Amino acid sequence: MATQTGSESNSGGVLMRDQLVKRVGEATAAGFVLVIGGLLGWILWTQVDYGLLSSPLIARRFAVAFSLVLRIVVISSLMSVTLGVLVGLGRISTSNVTGRIAKGYVEFFRGTPLLFQLFVIYYGVPRLWATGQFPVSDWAVPAAVVGLTLNHGAYVGEAIRGGIDAVPGGQMEAARSLGMSRVMALREVVLPQAWRNALAAIGNDQIILVKDTSLLTLIAVPEIMDVFRNINSNQLDPWTPLVWVCVLYLAITMSISQLVNGLERRSDWGSDSRMFGRLSRLGSGDDGGEEA
Amino acid sequence: MTGPLVAFDGVDKSFGDTQVLYDVDLSVDEREVVVVIGPSGSGKSTLLRCTNRLEEIQAGDIRLDGRSVIETDVNEIRQQIGMVFQSFNLFPHKTALENVALAPEKVKGRPEAEAKEAAAELLDRVGLADQGESYPNALSGGQQQRVAIARALAMEPKVMLFDEVTSALDPELVGEVLDVIEGLAADGMTMVLVTHEMGFAREVGDRIVLMADGRVVERTETASFFEGPGTERGREFLSRLL
Repeated sequence: MATQTGSESNSGGVLMRDQLVKRVGEATAAGFVLVIGGLLGWILWTQVDYGLLSSPLIARRFAVAFSLVLRIVVISSLMSVTLGVLVGLGRISTSNVTGRIAKGYVEFFRGTPLLFQLFVIYYGVPRLWATGQFPVSDWAVPAAVVGLTLNHGAYVGEAIRGGIDAVPGGQMEAARSLGMSRVMALREVVLPQAWRNALAAIGNDQIILVKDTSLLTLIAVPEIMDVFRNINSNQLDPWTPLVWVCVLYLAITMSISQLVNGLERRSDWGSDSRMFGRLSRLGSGDDGGEEA
Repeated sequence: MTGPLVAFDGVDKSFGDTQVLYDVDLSVDEREVVVVIGPSGSGKSTLLRCTNRLEEIQAGDIRLDGRSVIETDVNEIRQQIGMVFQSFNLFPHKTALENVALAPEKVKGRPEAEAKEAAAELLDRVGLADQGESYPNALSGGQQQRVAIARALAMEPKVMLFDEVTSALDPELVGEVLDVIEGLAADGMTMVLVTHEMGFAREVGDRIVLMADGRVVERTETASFFEGPGTERGREFLSRLL
């Protein structure tokens, strides 16, 4: 009782302070936007050479690099997610051998820098053959794909393992009680739910994979940052190509965000959020509303 | 087959150093409904879970229709034993109909259309003919538990095990689930129920098995148990309920 009266007498003050905090937050955010926006506007106004920005020469070079990065991303993405599922399954294997190998794999590829791994693959691996005997003549792009796949396979593997761990044990028990084998129960019951649980983390990792392609400039892959470095050193103008770089990376990462959102919505099995979405649409009589 | 459908013979079960079942003997005849009661921690649920080998026993044997559960392939034996859980454990990524049809399709290899048709009939039997397309999250607890019963029935088991299936339900939803179980009893389904619903135990059970501290301390015809248990433990247990 005493605490209740106490909180009642305070509630006005707390509300006042809540409002104050909200206003301060709004002011800070607005100030931030003004400063950054102003700075950006000033840069775009004074630093960017629009003739160079729209010149076909630059556009073509960036387009070539972009298309290469896109191909590297798509292939590494598909392969790293596939590998990640296998690693995640390995981590929960009832076999000690498989579990430990998967754990060791994850520890190594999460525990060393991607750049180190890329150097090992790009510089180190060909030296395992006698000079001139390495069978791949243009090793940079394949090395990049291998490196990104192995590195991100580890992260996706951990995401999948977390997703599996988050599925209640009763799901496996119910499936097994119906006579399903462990493998069948994993495939039909546990993994679809684990996939849903892991989607956000996997999406996050794949966005990082896109950004990690910027390191490939250091193993001679003619990717986006590589084009930037060339243009910058020829024209002595960093800001104009940087605009291109920014737009191109965002184009890929934002598409992946959208894709992940779409996948999450698709596997939203009548959860509360969808129910509420439906109810609120019914309430407002608006059929075209975005699903929550 | 003239012997009991389910027979426990000297079953011991331990979790690590903690023994939870001591020398349990129990037999369940075909079409019989046995209700297992007892204080919490007395081993009732473990007893059920040993039947379909969700828990492995350390000594003794459990027979289903004369065959040792321990020596038979676990996935084969489980197809003959339906199990319903306290927490429903429906598959959230499948509709009610898919939940029921999944195992017949994947485990028994029934064609999809046939499995779905049978599933629809089972949903009708538990009073949910119109909820086939609903996902579990959109169903009430009572409805989910009825889907779970239909899912277990879909494998055409010889015996059904019910593990405190109404304990997680709001009181007003208990009745609809008990009605379904009563219907199964009337149809002659062999069942073992662990429950705290004494009124229901009295109504549906042919026999009461009282457990305490991992042992079966009394097994009696239902009517005589509620008129006056033969053992001290039985009297004590009943008196605490009243």
